[in-house]
Amino acid sequence: MIGAKPEIDLPWQDHKSLSYWIDERIWGHRIWDNQTPWLIFLELLGVAESAHRDGKLLDEAGKHYPLTFSPYQRMMLRNILYNNQIMPFIQDKFPDDSRAWSEWAKWMKGNARGVVDRDFEYVGKRFSSFDEFVKLISMLRTATVESESNRRWSSRFLFPFGDQCLYEDVGISAQDKPTSEYINFGRTGELLYQMLCRSKSASRLKPFLGTVVTSQNPWNALVANLQRTETPDTSQRRSCYLPYKTHPTFDALGEDVLHLFELQLPRFDDYPHLTLLIAMHVMLYQLTVAADLTGGDRPLLICELVAPRKTLVRELSINSYQNNSQRSASAVAALIDGIATSDEWLVAKAATDAYPQCKNILNREIAWPRDAHDYEGAHEPDSMIRFLKQSALARHRQHAGNVHRTYGRSIGLISKRGTNKLRYAPNDALLKALILANVRDRMEFKLFLRRLFDRYGIVLGEREARIVMQDTDFDSKAFESNASRLEQRLSSLGMLRRLSDACAYVLNPYAEETR
Amino acid sequence: MAKKGPQWIRFLRQYGPIAHNDNMYDEHIRRSAARSKMQPLLFKNPIEDELLALFADSAQSAISVILTGTAGDGKTHLCRQVWTQLGGDPARWESDDVYFDVNTNIAGKERTVHIVRDLTGLPETGESGAFGTKTDLLEFFSHTIYEQDSNSVFLIAANDGQLVDTWSRLNHGKEAVEDAGRLLEDLLFNNRREREGSTLKLFNLSRISSAQLFDLSLDALLNHEGWQHCYDEADSDNELFGVNCPIRRNYELLKTPQVTDRLRDLLVLCDHNEVHLSIRRVLLLLANSLLGFADKQAAGKNVNDRLLRAVDVPRVISSNQVAKASLYNNIFGGNLTAYRRNSLDIYDYLGRFRIGHETSNRVDNLLIYGYSDILLKDLFDKFLSSDPHYGADENYQAAQRQYIEGADEGGEETERFLELLVSQRRGLFFKIPDTMADELSPWDLTVFSFAGEYLERVIERLASEQRIEKGVLARLTKGLNRVFIGMLVSSDRELLLATGLAGSSAKVSCILEDRVSVARRMTECVEIIEDESQFPILRVSLTKEIFVDLKLTLTRFEFLSRVAEGVLPGSFSKECHEDILAFKSRILAASKQRRDTIGVEDDGMSFKFLELNDDGQAFDVEVELNV
Repeated sequence: MIGAKPEIDLPWQDHKSLSYWIDERIWGHRIWDNQTPWLIFLELLGVAESAHRDGKLLDEAGKHYPLTFSPYQRMMLRNILYNNQIMPFIQDKFPDDSRAWSEWAKWMKGNARGVVDRDFEYVGKRFSSFDEFVKLISMLRTATVESESNRRWSSRFLFPFGDQCLYEDVGISAQDKPTSEYINFGRTGELLYQMLCRSKSASRLKPFLGTVVTSQNPWNALVANLQRTETPDTSQRRSCYLPYKTHPTFDALGEDVLHLFELQLPRFDDYPHLTLLIAMHVMLYQLTVAADLTGGDRPLLICELVAPRKTLVRELSINSYQNNSQRSASAVAALIDGIATSDEWLVAKAATDAYPQCKNILNREIAWPRDAHDYEGAHEPDSMIRFLKQSALARHRQHAGNVHRTYGRSIGLISKRGTNKLRYAPNDALLKALILANVRDRMEFKLFLRRLFDRYGIVLGEREARIVMQDTDFDSKAFESNASRLEQRLSSLGMLRRLSDACAYVLNPYAEETR
Repeated sequence: MAKKGPQWIRFLRQYGPIAHNDNMYDEHIRRSAARSKMQPLLFKNPIEDELLALFADSAQSAISVILTGTAGDGKTHLCRQVWTQLGGDPARWESDDVYFDVNTNIAGKERTVHIVRDLTGLPETGESGAFGTKTDLLEFFSHTIYEQDSNSVFLIAANDGQLVDTWSRLNHGKEAVEDAGRLLEDLLFNNRREREGSTLKLFNLSRISSAQLFDLSLDALLNHEGWQHCYDEADSDNELFGVNCPIRRNYELLKTPQVTDRLRDLLVLCDHNEVHLSIRRVLLLLANSLLGFADKQAAGKNVNDRLLRAVDVPRVISSNQVAKASLYNNIFGGNLTAYRRNSLDIYDYLGRFRIGHETSNRVDNLLIYGYSDILLKDLFDKFLSSDPHYGADENYQAAQRQYIEGADEGGEETERFLELLVSQRRGLFFKIPDTMADELSPWDLTVFSFAGEYLERVIERLASEQRIEKGVLARLTKGLNRVFIGMLVSSDRELLLATGLAGSSAKVSCILEDRVSVARRMTECVEIIEDESQFPILRVSLTKEIFVDLKLTLTRFEFLSRVAEGVLPGSFSKECHEDILAFKSRILAASKQRRDTIGVEDDGMSFKFLELNDDGQAFDVEVELNV
């Protein structure tokens, strides 16, 4: 057998368009770089909502594949929110209320897209005036997720106030049909949902996640009011694939999400922190799996708290980033090399019918080459492997290989601040999220550093650096001042309290006693 | 016979910012005192009686004690006093030992008293009395404090940081060790002395108020016999304690209530910004205030450590440099080099008031043009001309003329004058009497322009158990509302709890969730009260049981007051801004809790928009959805 057999069989038959299963076999189908943390979160909620509707939230019932769910499309709502630029003009031009409503419905009838029955007359009956309607819609639009990006209107998302606000990403086809394209929703949210299902905290997460997707509040009600009450349009989705039944990174993810939920922050205050943490865990999952496959050391993130000038910590942090960002590509190479150096492969290669035998092995391991046009090179095992490796690495570089960088940047872990090279330099928002997930009420500062190290491989202070550094690289002063910069940062964010010059506690600001 | 006055001054310098070994402070001072045959500055530590009573035959029960605090809080000094009281051998105390034990009667029974005078100094391995290693000792200690009437009692002195750290490194398999660790953390963090179920008392010397230590230190210093010697031995005007002597001038200034009260105010404010000054630092402050000199030389001779000795006095006077010994400037370490000053935390703390650097047009007009301005002349004479030592002396006048009339902008001369101005502003801070506060407030010379009000209308009123005036609460409420909503509202009779659409930490929050009346209405109110440690607390009560507290530190008071006066929240302090937003989150959570307990049904179909009228008063517009 070559490497470890996937714990869950490759479902290649369901994905004919995938030529081979390499990235997918290692990390799943699929880990996608073009997805921001918020979109991952929304995609996750979409799956969770559907599962909740079917009464199987966070419960795979022992069945690891396929993940089937039916997300909403809510095309009427989306047309009203994001494909409705005429609204202010009508408001200006027709001060008479009923005239305004009828003009608006007329316009919508002509211009709404992706909707079969373009009848928006129902909206007018639900609001006391057109002016109020305009005001409420503009207000809702301010709650658009990542409103500063200029995505097409059918890829704009509303803040997830409740189930009524959840829908999947679509494009509009030439036939005026909504079609899923997996561009903004790249299935990473689906992967993440499965990770949560398979984490040790799944059963405890269930009630919390259930509350998120059934949350009742005026906003959700308002959004519901914009839609027809008849059965909303859904689509069927299946086929997300996560190759591991259990994994330590799933458990760590589950714990962090649980800790955040348990804080019971008011309203939606935990969402921004959740988005950062889940994206970080996807990133750590990729890194950990890659390190396991290549037999490398435990991945470490040496973090600089941005210093005014170049420091040793910055240098080391740049190195540590560069090492880590290579890891996933090394894992791809290692998987292929693993096949090509296995006993089975060597025996097959020595046989008289070497090519078909080797092809069978590859077919079994990575579902390739299935068709004649999958591989058109010389019918010879070595060239086949060479071709595969080249092609797989090139494909990896396009998407999965960028996850570490793009996720890291979007969660505020990786940045170029103060220098021209990327490195780990966590920003305030991420630090805050880490504190909320790790500090229940208070924690001694050094223990906090130790916890970040144990859980995430984050190296900030002198003691952790001492554990992982070669003597030649180690300079305790540099790490001491790094930690003291962190201390000042946290203290100016109100999340650290000094008892004396030798004793400080990291505080969870939300836990300060409310009696 | 050698004169005693100069000896006293030389001895006093030992307390000042000189380069000596900080670690052995208590021992060092005692040795130095013995050499110069001077009484060290002695006063009773506020916890001394209580501590000594625990280690006496008459004690009620066997109690173990941990003394904690930062360096210079007097831990070693107190340990030695216990040792002496128990009849321990003074010679043994002089040795390098860290661990001491003695068998004696405590609470009516013979027991072993174990004293560790410095937990960090205790070797990890190697025997301490009957204990094989440090771990053995600490494990034994952990058991002892959960035993009633144990045959052993402990007195352990430890720096607070090391305390937590030491325990986190112990073997946590053992229950007592784990319990003791949690207990210590709990006591330290919550600022408690003891907890039921254990026989441990923890005295955190860092929690003794700086103002209290100041009173004790000042009293011991001013009434030291050394000063009488100085007076008695002064032969001529230009010698030590002659009429022109700057040390004498400083000493006499420091005896005036005008100066001591204002200085004490600063320390009270430090306490209320949650920074602690140790005894050692307070003594350093006082010694430097009296002896400091802002130059390295006087009349061609070195002034070591920038602290005057008796021999320097005639030189300073003859070279016309008396102003450089100004008490006002010395209080802030203005005599020291920036490097030395920055290395001393006390000047860091006092430096945060920015006294000398913060100013107003009125103050600077007074200092620069006051001598020739009819309107300001009276004040100028009152504060500067009438002060022959540190007022407008010849040097000052010359520099001032040069500054006003000179062509040289930004040059050396200007720099020199600006430095003199710093010193004069500091002088002014101490000279302006309280009675003039309305006309010219000393607090305008600090970053905390509301500090005077904080002292007078919050701290003093709380101390005398009076109610806080409505006006103060109204202004704080306005400040809170502006932060909570993110708009320039002027509503100050109720707290407006607003959130953004997507969360409560939105920059602008215009959805009204709840209101809390400031004046008492049913069970609701906003008030300023004291907590157990007499710290002012802003409490928002929703019901009898549900309330949220915010420690009302000086910085937060200043922040909210300034925001109420129109300053943008982010521009004063990001830290405070975050603090207050987190406070809002907590009140929102409490408000939800109240709704849940009362069982208010939210139909989920209406909400309230906050809007402002022309006066900035907030009103809400209810939007109802019809389904």
